[in-house]
Amino acid sequence: MDVIPSLDLLGGNVVRLLRGDFANVTTYGDPETVLDSLDVPRGSRLHIVDLEASRSGHPVETNIVRRLATRGLRIQTGGGIRSLDDARTWIDAGAEKVVIGTVAADAPEVLRTIVNDLGAERVIAAIDVRDGIVRVGGWEHDATSSLAEVLVRVEELGIREALITDISKDGAMRGPSFALYRSLRTNLRITASGGVSAISDVVSLGRIANVGGCVIGRALLDGRIRLAEARARVATTNAIPERVIPCLDVRDGRVVKGVNFVDIRDAGDPVECAMRYEAEGADELVILDISATDANRTTALDTVRRVSESLFIPLTVGGGVRTIEDFRALLRAGADRVAINTAALRNPQLIADCAREFGVQAVVLSCDAKRTGDHFEAMVRSGKESSGVDAVEWCRRAEELGTGEILLTSVDRDGTNSGYDIELLRAVTSVVKIGVIASGGAGSVEHFRDAIEAGGARAVLAASLFHDRRLSIGDVKQFLASEGIPVR
Amino acid sequence: MKTTLIDSPVANVANIARALRTAGAEVEVTSDPAVIARAEKLVLPGVGSFIAAMQWLTENGIDDAIHDAVKRGASLLGVCVGHQLLFDVSHEMGSTRGLGLIRGEVHKFDGILPVPQIGWNRVAAKGSLFDGVEDGVFYFVNSYAAVNAPDETARADYGGPFTAAVQHDRVFGVQFHPEKSSAAGLHVLRNFIAWT
Repeated sequence: MDVIPSLDLLGGNVVRLLRGDFANVTTYGDPETVLDSLDVPRGSRLHIVDLEASRSGHPVETNIVRRLATRGLRIQTGGGIRSLDDARTWIDAGAEKVVIGTVAADAPEVLRTIVNDLGAERVIAAIDVRDGIVRVGGWEHDATSSLAEVLVRVEELGIREALITDISKDGAMRGPSFALYRSLRTNLRITASGGVSAISDVVSLGRIANVGGCVIGRALLDGRIRLAEARARVATTNAIPERVIPCLDVRDGRVVKGVNFVDIRDAGDPVECAMRYEAEGADELVILDISATDANRTTALDTVRRVSESLFIPLTVGGGVRTIEDFRALLRAGADRVAINTAALRNPQLIADCAREFGVQAVVLSCDAKRTGDHFEAMVRSGKESSGVDAVEWCRRAEELGTGEILLTSVDRDGTNSGYDIELLRAVTSVVKIGVIASGGAGSVEHFRDAIEAGGARAVLAASLFHDRRLSIGDVKQFLASEGIPVR
Repeated sequence: MKTTLIDSPVANVANIARALRTAGAEVEVTSDPAVIARAEKLVLPGVGSFIAAMQWLTENGIDDAIHDAVKRGASLLGVCVGHQLLFDVSHEMGSTRGLGLIRGEVHKFDGILPVPQIGWNRVAAKGSLFDGVEDGVFYFVNSYAAVNAPDETARADYGGPFTAAVQHDRVFGVQFHPEKSSAAGLHVLRNFIAWT
């Protein structure tokens, strides 16, 4: 998976247009200074778009490409290439490849001339798509060919690489069109472009068959993605499996279930459930103790002890942890990790104290988030009461304080089976480096995929769905694997 | 043959004892250097700080006891920080000498990916410990690891390759937690128990 920085040039500067609108420009400064700030190493591919050329139809920023080529970068240049002369101008300026859009969509004979003269390996076909329709001419007119037709034509010319941009996603920072890339049936090596705004987007694109690279523009310029980190994550993409985690809600030593803590009914013995889950392939188990009183906490500790003694996978326990002593007691009872929720919101220092005492790996922040207007609020008391704290900011702060992972539950989706809250997940996973466990809303195998692929979650959790055997952990893992997501 | 598990305050001994028993071992848990020195099969667990763990070994004469046992022909398995203790040196806040049973040094992860590593990771392994699980997925919790150790038998990748297991003659080490690695972990423990 190639992670390719992308610079759009206009008037000698690096700029971004919001959704292709020349009236909506953000300027980032001169290209060499920008490249230095992005830590783009020698030998890296670099994608250059000459925006003025894409509008006027003639190469403009050739001097910049000439200068950048001397930095040992493998440059691919695009923007308004409509003739062999244009293409040659870029190659003569030091570009390794030319990126040809308009011509590829509208005039195959010109593309054929360029391929014959320069060689197919020097040509990348750029295809801009909005709502499934190919767009050309600086995104201002519809092309005359369908996406499928263009891909076939490009392939017939001997071209091996196509850059596909979903314009509706470009620069909007809401994630790329995973469904679009997954739907492509082609032998071309696809480079994805548009909407890549978190490292998890890069990782997820790399898991889609045909996708061999992605270009990143604004997210690098804005510092949302660090190039070195993205490349490191991609390198380990297939080695580090994403986790499927069943959750047992336990009260008074029994597994219970009930939507929003209403109509709670007995649903079994925790040890039996835990053993069944490990046998089904659970990567970890979460126990949430929802006991109402302190007296019942002793029972909870006993449950943790009995479950941990029957498992050979990691065990995370949460619910009612108020002090460092509660934390210690659960670790002693056999928990590998302890989740803190309300107590940490009331006293954030508890996270730092537990991390120092027991290690960052033992601390899990459990954050119940509820959509409130245009943001998410962290909730306390089992999601019933708002803390007034912004959930995303709270997760970011908890990472600084020393939590090893975040268990992020959407209070709105919990118990609905309507899917995880992808927006909430993206909001958190794009600002923290540590793993996020998605929780609340799982109802189908696709939901698990979306939480990881689009939401950037490193683990997916569900309770009643597994408990009621509507899906088995094996079903979920099998589906994830078939979608290119590595599982154990 | 009895498996002697070194009981230390800087390790989660109960879980490993249970995993060893499930894997078929007769387990004796001890921190008595005399017993350790006479052991035939030793397991050295450890979590947390290398410095604290090494200090505990030396203060209690257990470092010498382990050396004696290995010299007498005992096989030894180090787990997690117990694995790191086998090496010459660890660079956890300065440099601390280890047991020197395995050549190499332990370094902190470079920090490109979150540290500590917490979770499952796929290893590429060879050697008798991994018979049947050469392409296994194991559970790791570590901020430090050896890199490219000469006695490496398993390698994993976390923002760059690191040594996931080693073997030199009768001395084995695994950076992961076999007691938390479900069937694959028990398989490795069974291989160690069966190894002669």
